[in-house]
Amino acid sequence: MIMETEDLKLQVKKQIVQFLNLMTVKPEDIKDDEPLFGEGLGLDSIDSIELIVLLSREYGITIQDPKEGRKILVDVNTMVGYIEKHRTK
Amino acid sequence: MVTGLGIISAIGNSVNENREALINGFCGISTLENFPSRFSGVLPCGEIKISTEELKQKLAATQPGVTRTDLLCLHAFRQAIEDAGLTTEEIESPDTAFINGNTVGGMCLTDELYHDANKHEQGSEYLGSYDCSSVTLSIQAQYKMQGPASTINTACSSSANAIMFGARLIQNGFAKRAIVGGVDSLAKFTLNGFNSLHILSPALCKPFDKDRQGLNLGEGAAFLILEKEEDAAGKNIHARLSGYSNTNDAYHPSSLSPAGDGPYLAMKIALESAGLLPQEIDFINTHGTGTENNDEVESKAMIRIFEIIPTFSSTKSNIGHTLGAAGAIEAVYSILNLKHQEIYPSLNFNEPQADTGLVPVREYKQVHLKHIMSNSFGFGGNCSSLIFSKV
Amino acid sequence: MFYIQESTCISSQSTFLNKINLLEYQVPEGNKFSVKEPSYEDIPEKILRRMGKAVRLGVGAAMPLIAGSGNPDGIIIGTANGGMEDCIKFLNQIIEYKEGLLTPTNFVQSTANAVAGQVGMLLKNNGYNITHVHRGHSFENAMLDAAMHLAQYPDARLLLGAVDEISAYNYNIDLLAGWYKTTAINPAEIYKSDKPGSYPGEGSAMFIVDNKKQQGSVRIDALKTITSNDPQLVRHRFHEFITLNNLQNDPPGLYLSGENGDSRMMHFYEACETQIEKVPVARFKHISGEFATASAIGLWLSAEILRSQEVPVHMWKHQQPNPMATQRHPLHKILIYNNHKALQHSFMLCSIDL
Repeated sequence: MIMETEDLKLQVKKQIVQFLNLMTVKPEDIKDDEPLFGEGLGLDSIDSIELIVLLSREYGITIQDPKEGRKILVDVNTMVGYIEKHRTK
Repeated sequence: MVTGLGIISAIGNSVNENREALINGFCGISTLENFPSRFSGVLPCGEIKISTEELKQKLAATQPGVTRTDLLCLHAFRQAIEDAGLTTEEIESPDTAFINGNTVGGMCLTDELYHDANKHEQGSEYLGSYDCSSVTLSIQAQYKMQGPASTINTACSSSANAIMFGARLIQNGFAKRAIVGGVDSLAKFTLNGFNSLHILSPALCKPFDKDRQGLNLGEGAAFLILEKEEDAAGKNIHARLSGYSNTNDAYHPSSLSPAGDGPYLAMKIALESAGLLPQEIDFINTHGTGTENNDEVESKAMIRIFEIIPTFSSTKSNIGHTLGAAGAIEAVYSILNLKHQEIYPSLNFNEPQADTGLVPVREYKQVHLKHIMSNSFGFGGNCSSLIFSKV
Repeated sequence: MFYIQESTCISSQSTFLNKINLLEYQVPEGNKFSVKEPSYEDIPEKILRRMGKAVRLGVGAAMPLIAGSGNPDGIIIGTANGGMEDCIKFLNQIIEYKEGLLTPTNFVQSTANAVAGQVGMLLKNNGYNITHVHRGHSFENAMLDAAMHLAQYPDARLLLGAVDEISAYNYNIDLLAGWYKTTAINPAEIYKSDKPGSYPGEGSAMFIVDNKKQQGSVRIDALKTITSNDPQLVRHRFHEFITLNNLQNDPPGLYLSGENGDSRMMHFYEACETQIEKVPVARFKHISGEFATASAIGLWLSAEILRSQEVPVHMWKHQQPNPMATQRHPLHKILIYNNHKALQHSFMLCSIDL
């Protein structure tokens, strides 16, 4: 079953909150184009590694190099775009 | 004063063996053989090519609950006390401190720990062996030691801090002599841990090289015997511990600040404690793990403090990063430099980093050395610096 | 040795900040003295989200203390198992995912110096930072470290403390090793047991220490540690401690015992108690439980007792003719004896000038 992009975006937001234990962030409050790192959600280098693991476990996507990962993990839009193209699960 | 040394690493089971290997630029980093792992034959490690069973037999330490960490510790401990000629009475004396830096403890036994932590049936023989202190306590028991004892875990700077703590116990009159150092054995736990942070190199580590890809893990142990100057008269004195410091980088749990405040302050305060100016340091045994972050930051911190950077090397290029044992092993190497007035080549280096341009020493040389600095920087921003001087 | 200026404690009882109530104790649920964690207002959420319980307890107790007294010159922590929970969570990942792709947070948080490191990071504190992990002497070694630092730097001020948690995994290991009773806790009955095993506790105690004698500061006069499973040796060393500190002529007003209901420990506690027969005895492990750094809770309680001049009635070992007697006879000095797993023993002497 192919998930609608909007539903996938919400699912990814929920997964980000859960995986990174963002205790006071509501998934629906994360904007699609809000930067994940630096300003915006303010995640750090350890979070980027955690999200790479998330992509692997939930979507079967392998990203070898964390630097490559940062190019994909810009915001929810880019993340979801990449998932839709490369997911194997 | 340092009156005894003991060491075991991937390049030798004794002080002399280690020295021979260092002189010859021998690299003890190979592939993992001693325990089954996804990374066996894949990730380079500074593994000591003696199995745990063999170590048990050699050291006649076959009682239940003995771990590889215990055995490596015992090996180096025995060498050090023998080298210093400590009597049984001295070892058992309430005046003798024992301070051990360790991060892995019995967690090298992944499967047994998994079972004992999660299952409710009969526990294994290792129930009391998992925490870091079990290594120290078992030696205390074996040698009937009654003096002050502690185990320190500050990640990669653990045994440097252990050396410092022992020295301070003597200075403050809580001990007359101190057996100080550390140990760590390779473990699935640390292999996977560092791998999850993407800081393990798939190839041999290249400290300070522009193409470095990370660190290689290693294992080993080293102990030093410290005694007051007046008690060391007539003994074979290896070197003097003339300065030390510990600071915190306070930036991030697993990486150093861009300007290297922690490393910079550690070096600065160590110099002050030794009453030395930066230009009086003849050589630095760097932390030099081969990770992008450490080598860049350490270089910048050295540039901040030294107008002319002293000759430096990273012995992690010979044996890998031995975590809790690193501070002590590198202290032993620094003392060898001083005793024999020589420096050993730093391995696997080709090209310097573009923005700092620092080049470690690449060949064996006999040089005049008076003061050597040895640095260790760990997780949690823990930065320690030791200064040894020729006697 | 040095002075305690301020202190905080998070434990299974009401011991934290403005909710301190020692006069009544709360009966824990089940067979563990588990902490009901406070809301950690001083820890930014971005950092809090990664912390395991031991780190939360340690950092959570330290931060409000520092908010009151400013950035210390050093941070010295004792913990036996701090971070072990995260160690084993990471280990479980290793097994579950067969050494595949693993999340690093558990590993990074598993280093025992996570508490000291995180406090340092939150405060941007570049000072001395150390973690002692010597099981039942972790806190005592931290105290000794602090004393030496303050002797070398007389104007310094340090954060000194200890923390340990009952993690599911450590609990399991110690349970299999026979250290715990599994019946439900009844604090009033703990000490009457003739069976082996104690009840696990958890918590953190943090202290701001320096060399300044001030109104209300509690002085640490002496500290001695012994590693031995021989009650006679412990008795002998206790006798030496008493003599060295002139306690026969100037006895403490209270002897705080770390007795914990484990029948195997009683010969140690008896060996010591018989040497200070005229001193009233109080106990604390019916409210703290047993853990490697419980002596830090004992010290925190002693500081509270000295400052308030009140010994909670439930802490007395023997019925006192007048439990509030201290109000008429000032309590200047407390002697604490504790042991952990019948091997690591400590004597502490603390006092207050009234």
